[in-house]
Amino acid sequence: MSESVSNPTLRAECEEFLYHAAELLDDRKLTEWHDLVTEDIDYRVPIRTTRERSNTTEFSDTSFHMKEDWGTLEVRTERMQSDFAWSEDPPSRTRRHVSNVRIVDDDGEEVTLKNNLLIFRQQGDETDPDILSMERHDTLRRTDEGFKIAERRVLLDHTIIPTNTLSIIL
Amino acid sequence: MSHGIDESQSTSQTEFGRVKALLERMGETLEDGEVPMQILNDDAVHQLELERIFGQTWVYVGHESEVPEPGDYRQRTIGEDPFIFVRGEDGDFRVLFNSCRHRGANVCRAEKGNTSHFRCPYHGWTYKNTGDLVGVPQKAAGFDHLDAEERGLHEAPHVEEYNGLVFACVAPEVEPLEEFLGGATWFLDMYFDLIDMEVIGDPHRWEVENDWKTPTENFYGDNYHIPMGHKSAIDAGVGSDTATGEKESNLYGIADCDGHGFSFYQIESEEDSYWGHPPEVVETFNHDALDDDQHEVARKSGVTLGTIFPNLSFIFLGGRDDPEKDSVGTFLLRKWEPRGAGKMEVVNWILAPKDASDEYKERVYEVGMSNFSPSGNFEVDDVGIWYGIDEAAGSVFARQNDDVNTLFTMGRGENPAATVYDEWVGPGTAYLEGGMTDENQLDFYRTWHEAMTSDGGM
Ligand code: FES
Ligand SMILES: [Fe+2]
Repeated sequence: MSESVSNPTLRAECEEFLYHAAELLDDRKLTEWHDLVTEDIDYRVPIRTTRERSNTTEFSDTSFHMKEDWGTLEVRTERMQSDFAWSEDPPSRTRRHVSNVRIVDDDGEEVTLKNNLLIFRQQGDETDPDILSMERHDTLRRTDEGFKIAERRVLLDHTIIPTNTLSIIL
Repeated sequence: MSHGIDESQSTSQTEFGRVKALLERMGETLEDGEVPMQILNDDAVHQLELERIFGQTWVYVGHESEVPEPGDYRQRTIGEDPFIFVRGEDGDFRVLFNSCRHRGANVCRAEKGNTSHFRCPYHGWTYKNTGDLVGVPQKAAGFDHLDAEERGLHEAPHVEEYNGLVFACVAPEVEPLEEFLGGATWFLDMYFDLIDMEVIGDPHRWEVENDWKTPTENFYGDNYHIPMGHKSAIDAGVGSDTATGEKESNLYGIADCDGHGFSFYQIESEEDSYWGHPPEVVETFNHDALDDDQHEVARKSGVTLGTIFPNLSFIFLGGRDDPEKDSVGTFLLRKWEPRGAGKMEVVNWILAPKDASDEYKERVYEVGMSNFSPSGNFEVDDVGIWYGIDEAAGSVFARQNDDVNTLFTMGRGENPAATVYDEWVGPGTAYLEGGMTDENQLDFYRTWHEAMTSDGGM
């Protein structure tokens, strides 16, 4: 680990980036969000199962809720903005709460970090929100246009997804 | 307070009378191709279907590849009841009731794993993975009268397997599985005998605010909803090559098939289709397993889908997750689990040919997940188009008005586009232009109604 790990300026920069990316998703600016991922992005949301405590991991390495590259994220973000994407019309009202940002490493080119994400989601006249809770392990790459997401691993706090559809980006 | 008990008894009797009348009315509406909408969200109907359907018939529990080794287990439900699908140390499949014979606690708390024994955390009774009771703490001091042989874990009395698909029935009496599947075996052979399939990883599980019967009726063959309901995904150039129009196909809807329902998109071409599997994968298939007629249908298959009564559906499709990438053949098996009236849990497994390369299987998984899963580009809009059915079905208005029915009369007019295809080689009745008939979907409700109105010997 390099010295910058405990660098509050770096953490603030990363936080600012994560807040901005979250705002784009909450505001349904999906194409602009897609511009924030690198062309070689590896984006995964592994399936979690309830295991005995003695097990080393609860996350699958072969099965996923999402396993995306640049192209499939483009398909998804374009589709979600179609006039015929019924699961998002009327659209979900989402609020992403990003917190607990922890810098893991910085090699000068890429910063790896962990952060927590709580998504509030409501649709239509629902009064009970769907709450999705997760930890994200992100790799942010420094580019000419600023940070971009090169890798994201979303570790859900759910085995059974408690919302009708994952027609939102995590 | 005896008063309270009397009151609740009379309430449940009134409820039973109400459901009985509702089912009687449904007997009549079915003839006209209509189904009372309220059955899609009604507590009393839900309770009765747990007993008369899930408590009486064969229900899918899992694929053999999910528990390959002795001791491997997966927790599964039959209706809403907790069971452990386990391969015992003797290699046999069992479906054990996940409840200690002492005071009822769960003996298995993990969703999956491998174990030689299940030990109850309450007082420590221990069972082998075959269900036999082998350990009772302080037995000599307190339970010297207990016959351990009589106190093994309860298990589903009937567990049978067809081409790797394991089903269980919790009723004391049931016909053999193959008899229950009937004509469905002809179709299942085409997937699970022609191809040695394996489940990849763990299933998706998610909660949906819709009754389990809504997707079930859809997967009996609602091909009518595809252009409208899935337009966003089709426009994005993903999903099956027949839906995107990349490949021309004929659609057959299969009705009258022993209570199960199927649909077939056939690509009429000399070129092999086999659900989009490439030649090197098709080479690994057991081509001798099928007769010539079945084999020809398999060869021309673009997409096939269907449902085994009551709640096991599948879709086998040749397609993609990105218009820039090659098509692969992906197989999705799904169980629509009842979770209270008007609610369900979806369990979704993705299967690939076992003998294909690891890279290919990974693509099969990606294409399956990308189209049909909680995040699936097709699936999310399925759920998205069903919003509100639960609310309307559970309404006072639906109860008060005899004509709040869902409609299954497509193709019953003077000049229907869907016609019976006389040269059909498989079981049941095939309708060409199968998206233009509701006969296959009506079969679900006919079978459901029959099960709900027979007391199953109770
Ligand atoms: S409840 Fe299981 S040992 Fe007592
Ligand atoms: Fe659909």
